[in-house]
Amino acid sequence: MSEEDDELFMHLERDQLVAETARPVPPARLGPRALIGLWGLRVFAILVSAMVLYTFLARLH
Amino acid sequence: MTVSPLLGQPLLSEEDHARSRDRSRVHHARFHGKRGRLLWLLVGPGILAMLGENDGPSMIAYASDGAEYGIGFFVPLIPCLFLMSFVVQEMCMRIGAVTHRGYGELVLQRYGRLWGWFGAGDLCLTNLITLIAEFVAIRVGLAYFHLGAGVAVALGLVLVLFTLSGGRYWRWERTVLGIALFNGLFLLAAILVKPDLGTIASSLSFQPFPHGSLNTLLLLLASTIGATVTPWMIFFQQSASADKGMTPKDVRHGRYDTGLGAVLAATFGIGALIAGAALLHQGSGIQGFAGAGFPAALSHVAGGAVGTVFALGLIEAGAVAILTISASTAYAAGECVGVSHSFNASPRGAAVFYGANVGVALIAAAVILIPGAPLLSIALNANVLATVLLPVSLVFVLMLANDRTLMGRWANRRSTNAFGIVVIVFVSICGAAYGIDSFLQTVHLIDGP
Repeated sequence: MSEEDDELFMHLERDQLVAETARPVPPARLGPRALIGLWGLRVFAILVSAMVLYTFLARLH
Repeated sequence: MTVSPLLGQPLLSEEDHARSRDRSRVHHARFHGKRGRLLWLLVGPGILAMLGENDGPSMIAYASDGAEYGIGFFVPLIPCLFLMSFVVQEMCMRIGAVTHRGYGELVLQRYGRLWGWFGAGDLCLTNLITLIAEFVAIRVGLAYFHLGAGVAVALGLVLVLFTLSGGRYWRWERTVLGIALFNGLFLLAAILVKPDLGTIASSLSFQPFPHGSLNTLLLLLASTIGATVTPWMIFFQQSASADKGMTPKDVRHGRYDTGLGAVLAATFGIGALIAGAALLHQGSGIQGFAGAGFPAALSHVAGGAVGTVFALGLIEAGAVAILTISASTAYAAGECVGVSHSFNASPRGAAVFYGANVGVALIAAAVILIPGAPLLSIALNANVLATVLLPVSLVFVLMLANDRTLMGRWANRRSTNAFGIVVIVFVSICGAAYGIDSFLQTVHLIDGP
């Protein structure tokens, strides 16, 4: 490692190096209420998106 | 990659080298107390996210609002929506600066592959539709100068390739920032139509409330929300903040950057609204103005200079959005696949990132060359679809910003959470109400307007 590399290295925080960010963070532990809430959100998004897309396509014709 | 004798492990990649050079300038400016230079070095992701969202469909939507309803109600509404956008984008910037990771990879790693890919799927769908709308906006602007769809496609793609050619985040960011400042053309257009300042001042009372059917009002609200907060902005600002190399020390400047972007975007958005209001009572509907070309209509009513400035503004708005939205798609693709995703990496080292960046722009460009494609409908519905899918992204931003394992003392305060929850509920209700009301009308379960 050159002197220039050493100097550059000092300007980065250790956890922002590519080798560090390539390591995945541990999965979060979600409680049953959070999981139900997330599933509800997905169902909401899919249903409303389907309605908007159906309306969009129907009005094209 | 080289080995650090300081930590005793292999660490420095080409991406690290490029980022550390940018960081050394930040350290130097901070160490020597050069405040102006420090701000100059740290602004970027916030302004680009905000001005990127002042895109072609958004500016056409603001101008349509002005032409259809006048400036009352919208002049105060637009800053309120950008305040909402600031709260969301500040969280994204903070998460990116503290974790040094993008939104896509954090959702995928913290909450599982299903949620991560769902978010990326949301993003790809809305980004593709929005990108098509951006090419349409460029086409509308160029049509004023008698140039066709082929030129719009060439311009968009050349810009994407040109900005990617530098191999550095810093170069990409500064190039796009330089183009984005021309969003101010909409303010110039507003000045050129010589608006009555008394009318602007009186509109701050949210009056008069827009007239029309419930469905029209819901469409108006959903598309205006979709013009200020979108899923791509969330992906983009978090990933760009990490790619820029921001750290917790830079959060204060990140807030300045985001706040400045919000102020500029709201000002220029109001500019488009006021310019569009010159067409009030001219006897043509939203579809007519957008289809025939706002610039031509403005030129006829307010003079050739206004038409020219508005046309150039539309070209700029579409171009900047193509660059930032393609970038957000590329970040999401690289993060979800789990490969290099940085402008600081070479195309060979980050093939997925660069491929997605160019690929999504190519697909959108191809669509606008299809004869008879319903481009106007796509442009007008792009913001609405983004609003409908937005609550999913917002919920995960809020969860990440409250994740003390990741954020530590940088986690959200109660006040930020309260505001965030209000934003999510408001956006969800507006998106759902429009979607359900339109659907019920389409299947004839309720009467239409």
